[in-house]
Amino acid sequence: MARKQYARLAQQVLLYGLVLLVAVYALFPFYWAFVTSFKTESEMFKSATYLPREATTKNYEYVFRDNTFIDALKNSAWVSAATSIFALVAGSFAAYALGRLRFKGRVVLLYVVLSMTMFPAISILSGLYTIVRELGFFGTGLSLIVTYPVFTLPFTVWVLTSFFRGLPAEIEQAAIVDGATPFQTFRLILLPLTAPALVTTGLLAFVQSWNEYLFALNFTATNPSAQTVPVAIAQFSGQFSEQEPIAEIMAAAMVVTIPLVVLVLIFQNRIVEGLTAGAVKG
Amino acid sequence: METNNQAPGTRPEILLLSAVMMLIGALAIVLFFAAVANDEAIQLALNWTTAEDDARPPSLLLIYLERFGIIISVLFILSGAFFITIGWRLRRGNIRVAHWARIGLLWLCIGAASYILLTAFNIINSAAMDREAVDFGQLLSAISPALVVLAIGFLLWTWLNNNIERLFSGEDSLIGRETRLAWNLLIPTLTIFVLVAARPLEQTFIRSLTDKRFAGSAVPQFVGLENYYNLLTFRIDTVTCRKSISDGPCDTRANGSIRWESIDRELLREGYRTIFNVPIGGDQSAAISGLDDDFIEAIFTTVVFTVISVAGELIIGLFMAMVVNSKFRGRGAMRAVMLVPWAIPTVISARLWELMLKDTSAGIFNKILLDLGAIDAPLAWLSDPSLQIPTAIIVDVWKTAPFMALLLLAGLQVIPSDLYEAASVDGASPVRRFFSITLPLLRPAIAIALIFRTLDALRVFDLFNVLFGRQQLSMATYNFETLVSNQLDGYASAISVIIFIFISIFAFIYVRLLQVES
Repeated sequence: MARKQYARLAQQVLLYGLVLLVAVYALFPFYWAFVTSFKTESEMFKSATYLPREATTKNYEYVFRDNTFIDALKNSAWVSAATSIFALVAGSFAAYALGRLRFKGRVVLLYVVLSMTMFPAISILSGLYTIVRELGFFGTGLSLIVTYPVFTLPFTVWVLTSFFRGLPAEIEQAAIVDGATPFQTFRLILLPLTAPALVTTGLLAFVQSWNEYLFALNFTATNPSAQTVPVAIAQFSGQFSEQEPIAEIMAAAMVVTIPLVVLVLIFQNRIVEGLTAGAVKG
Repeated sequence: METNNQAPGTRPEILLLSAVMMLIGALAIVLFFAAVANDEAIQLALNWTTAEDDARPPSLLLIYLERFGIIISVLFILSGAFFITIGWRLRRGNIRVAHWARIGLLWLCIGAASYILLTAFNIINSAAMDREAVDFGQLLSAISPALVVLAIGFLLWTWLNNNIERLFSGEDSLIGRETRLAWNLLIPTLTIFVLVAARPLEQTFIRSLTDKRFAGSAVPQFVGLENYYNLLTFRIDTVTCRKSISDGPCDTRANGSIRWESIDRELLREGYRTIFNVPIGGDQSAAISGLDDDFIEAIFTTVVFTVISVAGELIIGLFMAMVVNSKFRGRGAMRAVMLVPWAIPTVISARLWELMLKDTSAGIFNKILLDLGAIDAPLAWLSDPSLQIPTAIIVDVWKTAPFMALLLLAGLQVIPSDLYEAASVDGASPVRRFFSITLPLLRPAIAIALIFRTLDALRVFDLFNVLFGRQQLSMATYNFETLVSNQLDGYASAISVIIFIFISIFAFIYVRLLQVES
């Protein structure tokens, strides 16, 4: 009896040890960014310490010195929200078609969607620049909402397609027997079932758009009121000229990452459920 | 219309609808050609006189391709043709054709409505920019043609919707219904595909055949495949090693690598540079040289980076997923913690790692290793060429293993726990359970995660750009440097096209091997 208890205890200790290992691995750089955000500029060049020698909130004051950063947060929030909603609507439509409907050209279209991930963003930058200008979106958040689907849509479509394909076929057959049209089956029966998957892919799309830099820099940099967070951070200038304002950047990193972590915490149960059904059948 | 030929049951309403549909189709094609003919750039090229300028005249074909391209032209003509064909076939009164006509009209309305919104937005926005009042007369005249199209389209659409059963006959099949629904549902995604992927990529392809310069005013000219020739040409020569004493051993550098003779002077003058030497026995080696050694090296670097970092992410991601999948207190919070590295924007996390990897004891990694006594002097993680790729791999694995872990965690959750119980009753060891239950059932989840991660890693940009600048190039940063620093738009475009072809081949083989599309 006692031996069995010891074995269980050992197992628990091992498990928590592994959990701690994963936590340290994931969080140590984040912790380092946190500590750095309270350090002074001159401390950057001294031997590294685990805690600031003299903690300062100056870096945070710099981040919030005027409304630029708050505006950037607002821009990022609405651009990312609009991008993820669009990715979910267009993506779930396409995924339903590719995952559940019978028509010619299905496999080709799956490759067509995937082909959007086969070139670096730099390849299409000047082409997109022309299109954004012709649409009249240059210098506004709309330029990003139009261009971000190039990386949010393929992932959304593929994950949701595999999710739809994993649902049992009886669901639709019952609906068709009851006289529902295919679109009614989709909207009233299949879509509610995919709610968790929508939350997951929506969140992933949100994070991708929140973090995007190249398009945001090229399409919104000329208009300070349309800048997103990564662009605003890149335009920080240090307290001393010629020097990277690294502590300020880390303070800003804290401000932008914590909302995302809270978002993940709120949705975390849904996230895992969301991808669960999708993984049943690749 | 040839009304005498009319099929039995055809009514005048149908003939009217048929005529309007064909008219819309014809109009679309005519308007497209009118737009091409009236285009400013094309007009400028047509009226080009060498007398007023000594510069080379622009190529009309090139300007047409730049402004309109093949994809847009084909799509316009195809949609025109679609309306004409549907209109023609409507006369027979078949209900299937009528359903397709309905789809055509619906998307015509959506297209006209989008055009109206876009034009209105542009006029209002530019008025706001100039702090002027919106000129509603101008607004109205700009959108009136589209308003007319919208009104006609919407009327026809509602009318057809209400009367389709009454006017048309024939059997509609389930497959037909599903096909139409599928295309309806795919149009938004395909529109985005054309607008932000296919069309820009097409322009890149066109520019890759020219000598266009970035932000330059010179008129670009076609140069054929010259850019591709310069990028891809390579040759293999045999060279011998350098010897300070004849018949002695080969000379070596401080790090132990052999010093090889360089290739022929004549070849160097032609632009060939040796990328690497492969020893082939004796004191000889095969020297692989290319006209653009940087590019071939960038491909090599990127592939090495991709293979090792994706493998590392898979292993660490699987480990993380399995730990987080076990039962313990605070599991929910751990899932959020696990995602932290992925949630930090790459531009910032690359800076963070740059800070942690500083080549003095101000960098925490060097400090830890020095304190542990693992190294005697700080390492130059970012500037020592032999440490650069390993460093990039470490940072990338840290950042993206959580993404992998999230996808794999989902796969782990659906493995029924009774499978494991049955296996342990049979006395299977944990290792055996992992290889005979976990891995096979996780395969589909692994496949999707691997495809997206591999394609992402092959396109790595932010990380290399922030950490190494020009010191160590990935395919994407080489492309960027050629475009922005060297201003060679045509050449950079050829690089983009080659990267695209390279990654497509990779992706196709991958998807086939992992059998995800079936």
